[in-house]
Amino acid sequence: MGHLIGKEYCLDHLIEVAKSIVLAIHKAPQITGRTKIEAEIIWGKDLEPIIEVMGPVAKVMRYVQWDYETIKNCYDKGEAPVIISIGAKLSSSNLNWNCGACGHDTCKDFNAYANEYRGGGQLGGPSCNWKVLDWAMACDWACASAAQYRVDNRIMGSLGFAMNALGFMPGMDSQLGLALGPPRDMVYYSRDEMHKSMSYEMDKQDMVNCVPTMFTAFPGGGTPMYKTKDDWWAPPEFMGIGYSDEVMEVYQQVLFEQVPEIVVKHADRIAARYKNKE
Amino acid sequence: MKKYVEDLNFQGEEYVGEWTPWSPQDIRRKKCVLEAARLMADSVMTAPCAGGVPSVEVHIVYGQEEIEAIARKVEEIAHSQESWKEAFLYEAVMVRDSDVILFIGNTRCHETPLDAGCGMCGGTLDCGYFYDKKNHKYGLVDITDRSSDKMIDGPLCSARVGDLGYAVGSALWTAATLMVDARPFASIGMAGQKMGYCPKSGMVVAVPVAGKAKNPYVDVNVDYHLINMDKALDNTRKIYQTTRIIRGFDYRKWIPKPRKPGDQKTGGDE
Repeated sequence: MGHLIGKEYCLDHLIEVAKSIVLAIHKAPQITGRTKIEAEIIWGKDLEPIIEVMGPVAKVMRYVQWDYETIKNCYDKGEAPVIISIGAKLSSSNLNWNCGACGHDTCKDFNAYANEYRGGGQLGGPSCNWKVLDWAMACDWACASAAQYRVDNRIMGSLGFAMNALGFMPGMDSQLGLALGPPRDMVYYSRDEMHKSMSYEMDKQDMVNCVPTMFTAFPGGGTPMYKTKDDWWAPPEFMGIGYSDEVMEVYQQVLFEQVPEIVVKHADRIAARYKNKE
Repeated sequence: MKKYVEDLNFQGEEYVGEWTPWSPQDIRRKKCVLEAARLMADSVMTAPCAGGVPSVEVHIVYGQEEIEAIARKVEEIAHSQESWKEAFLYEAVMVRDSDVILFIGNTRCHETPLDAGCGMCGGTLDCGYFYDKKNHKYGLVDITDRSSDKMIDGPLCSARVGDLGYAVGSALWTAATLMVDARPFASIGMAGQKMGYCPKSGMVVAVPVAGKAKNPYVDVNVDYHLINMDKALDNTRKIYQTTRIIRGFDYRKWIPKPRKPGDQKTGGDE
């Protein structure tokens, strides 16, 4: 006998669904059969450091902004998603296939290079590409599994970067985050949370920045005008390309100052969890 | 305007079975698997991908000659490197036991990377690792020289390789849902790529598919390239015929019978 009312129990059940999805992650087929993959489930207040790290990155990366604001808004409304972190050991090869996909002649050369540069990228790296394939298949099975439970979901590099920076899954070389729920439609595609978050002008400027050929006038002169307004010829506007101190400074500040500051606040507490588990 | 004319002649029968190989009933069974493979190709096309950028292609291959040619290519690759030899020879047997082979490739991993500076390829904060090892001008990679002494002409954009993994994963998920047997293989993928399947791709994975009583891709024995169903059947043909020859008699005149209790003579003495 029972009577469940409201949405609270659905949010609670997301954690159970996440556990089932982790089963799919571990069941996913592999090409090599030798890629170590792990998954962890994070929810509730433990999402706060992750959201905090995404904050400054969102200011310089539009796709991170969309992920950050969606997850933060849901969290603030009491409809927080559950996050599955999916990590893999990618930066060493025990295959001895010497296939060349990584850009080295042999797996031995790759391993020597990886020992020197391990973890240098935003998402880890360097990587054995066959292991990347295994890892991606596991991530795909996680998404497919979530879809079969009819839970809105999206696999995110932004979450992976934040969790990696904070020291989640210390034994893994790369992580991606699968955001699950809240239980409704249009959380991560045609995002409800992002409605009214941008102006017409902002959308138009994004298009001009990202797809300039759409706005290029007659190029025969060699320095074409750009149609950035209805009367684009009066006065004409031209594209400028160059190094930007301003953009690079903000980028550096975010990556090397703001993110590390947030990480320092939370890293010990997160590291302690793994230490206590040993 | 030409109108769709509905065919209402809905009657017939389709006898489907696994034995004997390449019989009408077996070919019908293979066609069922082909339908599943086509649905797997749908899953490949709708798999998640970085930035929503289309970057995968599929080649569906079937037929006795086609499958045999792929198996032989896998065997050729197997003998090119000691670390591949045994596993790849086993996998060539699996090719011959497959009904349809799906090749899935990524068309961008070698030529048009994600350019997002994720660092997965080389562990750096930019895409320099990839471009430093490629022949390119202002970031436009020249792939016209397709000669390479490696099986795969790396480095590749690992983010795009990830997209390929999503695509393969989706194909396998659909196979599992449709209850056809399938597994992803590097060996068969590399063989397919060398044979020209998925012609625009920088990396190719093969997913052979089968709809048989026994899943061809699991539970193999040692020396599988020497001891497998094809070899066992052929060995039966080899041994049994000779066994008949050495026991010949005219069955119209005499057939040996089992000895009854109390009989002094053997059945063959009468």
